[in-house]
Amino acid sequence: MTGLIIFGLLLVLMLTGMPVSIALGLTVLTYLFTMTTVPIESVALKLFTGIEKFEIMAIPFFILAGNFLTHGGVARRMIAFASSMVGHYHGGLGLSAVFACALFAAVSGSSPATVVAVGSILLPAMVKQGFPVRFGTGAIASGGGLGILIPPSIVMVMYAVSTNSSVGALFIAGIVPGIVLAFMLGITTWWIARRNNYPRLKRADWATRFRTWRKSVWGLMLIFLVMGGIYTGAFTPTEAAAMSAVYAFVVAVYVYKDMPLSRVPRVLLDSANMSAMLLYIITNAVLFSYLLTYENIPQQLAQWMVDTGLGPIGFLLAVNVMLLLAGNIMEPTSIILITSPVLFPVAMALGIDPIHFGVMVAVNMEIGMITPPVGLNLYVASGISRLGMTETTVACFPWLLTMLVFLMMITYWPTLSLWLPRTLGMM
Amino acid sequence: MLRILDRLEEWLIAFLIGAATLLIFVAVVHRYSLDMSAEWGWDVLYDWLFVIDLSWAQELCIYMFVWMAKFGAAYGVRTGIHVGVDVLINNLPEWARSKLVLFGLLAGALFTGLVGTFGANFVWHIAHTEQTSPDLEVPVWIVYLAIPLGSYLMCFRFLEVAWSFFRTGELPRHEHAHVEGLEEEVEQAQATGRPEPVFLGESITLAEEREHIHGGHSEHAGPTDDHGPESNDRGEGRP
Repeated sequence: MTGLIIFGLLLVLMLTGMPVSIALGLTVLTYLFTMTTVPIESVALKLFTGIEKFEIMAIPFFILAGNFLTHGGVARRMIAFASSMVGHYHGGLGLSAVFACALFAAVSGSSPATVVAVGSILLPAMVKQGFPVRFGTGAIASGGGLGILIPPSIVMVMYAVSTNSSVGALFIAGIVPGIVLAFMLGITTWWIARRNNYPRLKRADWATRFRTWRKSVWGLMLIFLVMGGIYTGAFTPTEAAAMSAVYAFVVAVYVYKDMPLSRVPRVLLDSANMSAMLLYIITNAVLFSYLLTYENIPQQLAQWMVDTGLGPIGFLLAVNVMLLLAGNIMEPTSIILITSPVLFPVAMALGIDPIHFGVMVAVNMEIGMITPPVGLNLYVASGISRLGMTETTVACFPWLLTMLVFLMMITYWPTLSLWLPRTLGMM
Repeated sequence: MLRILDRLEEWLIAFLIGAATLLIFVAVVHRYSLDMSAEWGWDVLYDWLFVIDLSWAQELCIYMFVWMAKFGAAYGVRTGIHVGVDVLINNLPEWARSKLVLFGLLAGALFTGLVGTFGANFVWHIAHTEQTSPDLEVPVWIVYLAIPLGSYLMCFRFLEVAWSFFRTGELPRHEHAHVEGLEEEVEQAQATGRPEPVFLGESITLAEEREHIHGGHSEHAGPTDDHGPESNDRGEGRP
């Protein structure tokens, strides 16, 4: 009952269009003032301690690194490399876009950033080459979703923080599913292009491939810096994020020289702006989950779920549907922070692996990025292509279906995500 | 006066994120060079490095980010980055929508004002104790001062935005599709008479080469063609 009141209040406040963070905070305050005797001082304390965790600090670092990479010419060189490798197959630049998204996703933690980085360069080129805008927009908007699944991933850090899972294990677990999904999206692109006979590039010779590889190697090395560092235990994920931010800065300003030093303050400010917004949601979400825990709601829900005999299979299906619906109207950070304190205990009670559950949540968020009305990738892609939102959505449809198939695979075949971290002994 | 506050806010958060990054970088490099000099027996370097104690780096980094988060959230109100669920209200008639937007902004002001007051209370109490932080050993109340200061600033920003919305009906809006610096680059290229912006660089050239080889598809492409990336700026037309 209390749970219904709390979530009902939150829903009403959110639907008025106020920022999600404010809606979360006001829900807590309203509830505390009117319904309980929890001392308000404990709220104040929570506001201080909510984000005092070193793991959370990976988020600003990854955002900063991603911004340096986006503006620093790393994406451009990765695209050149990708198109020299796969451009001669059916789908040409479209396939290159998916490949480039996957590469860029492996150095950047954010999905819209991937769309911007790859889309703003490749989409005009594709249109020029005679691809329909729709095809290009669809390929890039959905390929950009890989940013969430392929580590490093800000969404995964969020999940790990709000459920106390290991960021490192989650990152490693994202690798195999990420590659599989990139492959599936690539096949979709290839298939559509083959049926419609879209242009292909001439096969690049090995000298060109080597040349483009050498130019992009500074960006590609970041993959090994982050993942290698985390896997070997050389860095904690947060340290790896800080290292990659410094590395991306050096590459952008001194190696590629695509970004003048004078633009650095601007990038810093933009990154700070974005990270502060996310950290602010986290602070208030911590408050919210404190309230839930205080009222024993997750435990009650878990008990109820176990009693109904829904079982893991039904529960996972319900979670998928719920997250996909939520993905339609909210952005990933808020969804994860609001739902995981409730869903996670239930999943644990049903014996679902926390890492597997996390990968599944990440895939759901990824699909949410390309489903209307609130899909950040759609906004970004429609901004680049100047297609309307409806058309962009339709354009993404074939890739959306692929992702849904992939989601079913991830959900009911845990080995796909758990094999690598188990083999590497990380869990 | 307000101008100064704006700039101060921007400089503070940009500085904090930059400094925190450097701090962690230096701490990691320090840790590894210490290990390495111990392994390879470089005693001089080891002794020199050993004196430097960076165990407080993590704690300072956290505090810097907490400060950045509080003041950055206030800056975010000004830039319109705090997103909400606006699907419903965007489909309402204009008068209802503007009422709800105003309600949302005032609710933001109310919440941040309340939090600021709780925070101020809390800091006041804690300032009368001897409590210090574990590693840095600074008085805790100074660290926690970020909450009342940041929240009150944020409250002020909400009121500011609400007032300007009330007067002009305009909201600050964050452009996710906006690529920083891309437009300047295009403008520069046009000004200096260079044929194409550097950003499209290799992939465009590549595409053009192939295009001639294939012969098929010539210059009849879509609207984004010639304008390229500058369209990012205005492109985010929401329905």
